[in-house]
Amino acid sequence: MSLAALNRRLPWDWYQGSIPANVELEGETHLETTYSFLHYRSEETPGVRLGNGSTVYLGTMFDIGPRGQVRIGQYALVHGAWIICDAAVEIGDYALISWNVVLMDSYRAARKPAARRRQLEAVPGSPRRRLEAAAAARPIRIGRNVWIGFDCCVLPGVTIGEGSVVGARSVVAEDVPAYTLVAGNPARRIRAIANDEIPEAI
Amino acid sequence: MKTEQFKDPAATEPGQWLDGSLPANVQLGHDTVIKGDQAFHRFQSKREPAVIIGEHSTMDGVHFALGTEARVEIGDYCFFSNAILLCEQELRIGKYVVIGWNATIADTDFHPLSPAARIQDAIACSPLGKGRRRPPIAAQPVVIDDDVWIGPNVTILKGVHIGAGAFIEPGALVTRAVPPRARVLGNPAQVVGTV
Repeated sequence: MSLAALNRRLPWDWYQGSIPANVELEGETHLETTYSFLHYRSEETPGVRLGNGSTVYLGTMFDIGPRGQVRIGQYALVHGAWIICDAAVEIGDYALISWNVVLMDSYRAARKPAARRRQLEAVPGSPRRRLEAAAAARPIRIGRNVWIGFDCCVLPGVTIGEGSVVGARSVVAEDVPAYTLVAGNPARRIRAIANDEIPEAI
Repeated sequence: MKTEQFKDPAATEPGQWLDGSLPANVQLGHDTVIKGDQAFHRFQSKREPAVIIGEHSTMDGVHFALGTEARVEIGDYCFFSNAILLCEQELRIGKYVVIGWNATIADTDFHPLSPAARIQDAIACSPLGKGRRRPPIAAQPVVIDDDVWIGPNVTILKGVHIGAGAFIEPGALVTRAVPPRARVLGNPAQVVGTV
């Protein structure tokens, strides 16, 4: 049945929500629950785009600001990431993102305490008492066929190259080249991953 | 997308827990809001008061996991989202503090370090341990000064004092005092700059 026929609701959903109008689902995708859109407020088209064959499980939260755009590639699996996006977060085809991962393109908070005070003083009067962004966003890009272990953080402006692997609980503060294994907090290069270790894509 | 306003603006003043009835020993200042039905799921403190929060603060999805003797103090204009506060003794947080998603602050080791004492503790905590006292467990207050920013997935351990204006990068594990206005990153957290 088409999404329109379902009124943008998921038949299996435990949460009484619907998929926002500016979220695009390409072909066959699996979205576990619309609870993932609790903090969604993108006004862009699309605000989120899920590629054909992609999966988004419970625990994933699209914390997307008005100008944020998230693109999730084909066959990508997002197993419960907190996506903080005020500009652009791209997750490539075949990427695997584990649970409790934070992908953030913005700190949202101003660096200087005085500016942060003004930001916090605006919270009580804001819709839904949100801390609205006061810091410039820097897009993050997770390449094709990248695997990110659980509890990792990917910080604003970071690009992770194709085929790379990020060990569990790493904090990625700098770009990761393609076909590289990194781990640690902050993440460091462990070794290269030979290209021929990567199986042919479908 | 149109953002939804609170249905009743008056519901946010004075301080309120929007998803339940506040324990009697929790004091919220004017316009402070606690959201989330799990907020006091693991709240056991018998202190009077056990939690004091100042004015205009927002606690969205915060877990107040307080032991029987625990006391938590939080200042004005704080903004915590989905933070986990594990407290057996004392947690003092200043004003204008931000704590990000899934950050954990613990003022206790939870179990003894000594293997023998840990066996005693395992027995006391077991279904067979009825009435048995738990051995002493190390706990030290955590103090977070004004204007501190704490990112998502950060862990702050017992006895840590974070100086005013410090910036704790996402995922950092803080085991030692952080000087005022320092920027720290890593596990264990190291100073990488100033704000």
